[in-house]
Amino acid sequence: MNAVHEAASPAGDEPQLVARARRGDRDAFAALVQRYSDQAFAVAYGFLQHVEDSEDLVHDAFIRALERLDSLEPGSSFGAWFYRLLVNAALNRRKYLARRRTEDVPMSAAARESPATDSERAELRSRLAWALGQLPAELETIVILHDLEGFTHPEIARVLEIPEGTCRSHLSRARRMLRELLQDYRHRG
Amino acid sequence: MVEIGSDRPIEGLEALKAPHRSAAQRRAANERILASAALTLARRRRPASSWEVLAAWGRPGLVAASIVLAILAASLQPWRAWEQEVPEPVVVEDGVRGVEVPEGVPAMLVAFSEPDFDAVAAAALLERNGNGGVVPENPQQR
Repeated sequence: MNAVHEAASPAGDEPQLVARARRGDRDAFAALVQRYSDQAFAVAYGFLQHVEDSEDLVHDAFIRALERLDSLEPGSSFGAWFYRLLVNAALNRRKYLARRRTEDVPMSAAARESPATDSERAELRSRLAWALGQLPAELETIVILHDLEGFTHPEIARVLEIPEGTCRSHLSRARRMLRELLQDYRHRG
Repeated sequence: MVEIGSDRPIEGLEALKAPHRSAAQRRAANERILASAALTLARRRRPASSWEVLAAWGRPGLVAASIVLAILAASLQPWRAWEQEVPEPVVVEDGVRGVEVPEGVPAMLVAFSEPDFDAVAAAALLERNGNGGVVPENPQQR
């Protein structure tokens, strides 16, 4: 079972792992890290488009989650709670990085591509990342979680604490906006 | 209006997917997280001292006490306002207008408090002795 499905239902041994991690059990916390870190990295990368920044973000999110573990209500899903924390941190980090960097995030992602091999791919990434960044935060998050990372609507609804229907309509609206933005980008040249 | 095809994912979006990380890279990243978590985990393992328990109780206690104090202060406000009202001066003259007061009797026309007992007694003696008359020191002069 991957982390996406666990975000929807706190099944299996997760409540025990959380309870043990609360008491400072290293193995239990390591199991949670092992379970969620890959998917968390993928989500973080969807926002930041930078490997090191994404790893730092996941690192910080796990530490913060451990510090705030007592605020997680018993019986509620660690996954949904953790992804919520991660998404908020990703949005904040991107704002901070955008202020600090002279070059924007899509450019830094494209810069890691080998210029000879993947210039078209780099251009596509740059374009898509720019368009995604233009969306309101909630719509962008839904596109990243659903279209990029394969979260289902019920899972996204749990992460963002919104009704499932709202999630669906937001995704539809986000895709429409993205298409318009990408068309503008093309016309912009 | 929903545009046709708006419910399909955007083409090429997978270009934004995270690159593959090797098992060693993943392990290194996880180890880094666990190393940073060591201190917090150790703190969680340590049993809370009585002071920490007290502090944990103290916070909600402090909030509750503040609320009680605020309610108390709010309920005392009208009482205090009533207390602080300056009493209207009592005009004695109005009170005794219906009563005949012999002329010459020194009277306090305005009083803020009850008259002094000695003053009342003195006034009564004077009245009894007749129109402010003073008992002569030499009885033969009567």
